[in-house]
Amino acid sequence: MDIGALGVGGVLFIALYFEVFLLISFFEQKPKKKTNRAPRRYPSVSIVVPCFNEEPTLAKTIYSLLSLRYPKEKLEVIVVDDGSTDNTRAIGERFAQTHQQVRFFHKENGGKYTALNLGIKESGSELVGCLDADSFVAPDALCEVIKRFEEHPETHAVVPAMHVYKPRRILELMQAAEYTFGIFIKRTFDNLTAISVLPGPFSIYRREMFDRIGFFRHAHNTEDMEIAFRMHAHGLKIRNSHTASVYTTVPTTLRALLRQRTRWSQGFLQNSRDYSYMYANPRYGHFGLLVLPFGLTMFFGALYAAGYILYTTLFFLVQRVLDLATTGVPLALPQLPRLDWFFLETGVLTFLVCAMFAVTLFTMLIGKNIGKTNIGWGSLVAYFVLYGFVAPLWLARAAWGVLLARESAWR
Amino acid sequence: MNWQKYFLAFIITVAIFATAFYIAARIDDRRIADVRAIQQNLALDILSTETQFDLLGEIDCDLISENPVLSNELNSLASRLAYTEENLGSDNLEVVALKKQYSLLEIKDYLLMQRVSQKCGLKPVFILYFYTNVGDCMDCRRAGEVLTYLRQTYPALRVYSFDYHLELGALQTLVGLRRVKPDLPAFVINNRAPVYGFKTLEEMQKLIPELKTLATSTPKT
Repeated sequence: MDIGALGVGGVLFIALYFEVFLLISFFEQKPKKKTNRAPRRYPSVSIVVPCFNEEPTLAKTIYSLLSLRYPKEKLEVIVVDDGSTDNTRAIGERFAQTHQQVRFFHKENGGKYTALNLGIKESGSELVGCLDADSFVAPDALCEVIKRFEEHPETHAVVPAMHVYKPRRILELMQAAEYTFGIFIKRTFDNLTAISVLPGPFSIYRREMFDRIGFFRHAHNTEDMEIAFRMHAHGLKIRNSHTASVYTTVPTTLRALLRQRTRWSQGFLQNSRDYSYMYANPRYGHFGLLVLPFGLTMFFGALYAAGYILYTTLFFLVQRVLDLATTGVPLALPQLPRLDWFFLETGVLTFLVCAMFAVTLFTMLIGKNIGKTNIGWGSLVAYFVLYGFVAPLWLARAAWGVLLARESAWR
Repeated sequence: MNWQKYFLAFIITVAIFATAFYIAARIDDRRIADVRAIQQNLALDILSTETQFDLLGEIDCDLISENPVLSNELNSLASRLAYTEENLGSDNLEVVALKKQYSLLEIKDYLLMQRVSQKCGLKPVFILYFYTNVGDCMDCRRAGEVLTYLRQTYPALRVYSFDYHLELGALQTLVGLRRVKPDLPAFVINNRAPVYGFKTLEEMQKLIPELKTLATSTPKT
């Protein structure tokens, strides 16, 4: 095995170690099944919907909030238009006029975090949450979140289980599998009290927490990640409710997907730099010891593995072209693989990659089971075939953006 | 902090890796056993033909011309050995042992075929090809490609490839008899003086005018 392949073996070892660790942690404390039990108490809740040019989906998002099975007098929806240039403002104003639960604010464009902060400051509820204007909640999602707060009263925030809304195209199918994997990850991180991000779709916070540690920050366009880092820095607990389902629309084109993921990845690198003191620091528990170091290692590990595969493939192709040009041997059509076990690729790396796929598939099936996700084999195939090709693209772009100290684009 | 869990995960991961190494090693063992079995069969076939030749002083020439002796078996063995060498490395002891046996079989086949050709009046084309694994002999790799193409195009062409630096008495005797210098790659075509250095397909075809007398498996280019 050459030194480059040894490096890939090292990356696989770390990745497998992490997944094995997660599986052990998951089975240590298997999640409870969903029940019809109502919360003991219904605290007041404000859901902030920050929006910028969300005309196509805003109404559906607000309707989904208004359809939550929750006492109307305890739930308010605060729509904050962050200087949209489309019809978003008119839609928000119309809802505010026709629904008592909805309040609408319009402000100059200042970024998502400014819209969130305005909504939080305007809210007087015990709990405050946010919901991106391209996402929709299941009717029982809020009750499930409240029950999680009741189970762990020391909790300061709860994140839901995120699903892709009606995946149809191949990139959506790929992301549906990825989000299902995310359901397993979040649930397991809950066991480890190491949840690393509070996503825009329906993360719910105790309102008093913002007075204690401050409001959302710009945070390299990843305010949802930074607030999680900050909460860990202050020793505040984040929990996951795998039974609270939220459905979000996802990028349908490669260009949009790359832009979104580059922002997330670059935000991770930049927030990691800002909170570097938490790395490998036992004071921050599994978050500092495992989640952060592993995330960073895999960021560069995945880039390395992709670079190695790209290099060896290009090297092989260039060599073939040079050989053909030098030898004068006519170009022949590629032959079908020989149907002989002797010539099957059975190196150590092959089995390790198979083991990695098997463990990942197993964790996805757990995610599908606990999140009651309706993903099919098409999603799994799309994920396993495509993800390895597209993920390195946004990782490389994010690393490049950090190197150049360039701000990631929101849209 | 539950350090035991970190340790347990490490042990399980190491166990997965160990299993992967074990399975890969077992399959490599099976490959080596497979190559060895083919070599044994080949050795028996050669011995059988030699014995037949010695006993009767003649063999069935019609049969020989219809079914070139062991050519397919040798080619199959060559491709399997090359694959095994690529996977396990050329300095692997098992690979070196297999290569020695293979080289011996090639030499025996070469000598036998010369006797058969004389007896039966055949005019086969022999190429003794000497390469090296020492350093990165790009010319050797490219010469191998040209010869592979020629062998596929002319099934009757008999190419015997030898690792020049293989420590094998019979091979070194052959090298001495044919006066092959370590200026590799080197070719001995139909027992003529050695030719050195990489040759393109066109140059190789000019070096072997006898190719025109051989039947082709594919249209000539």
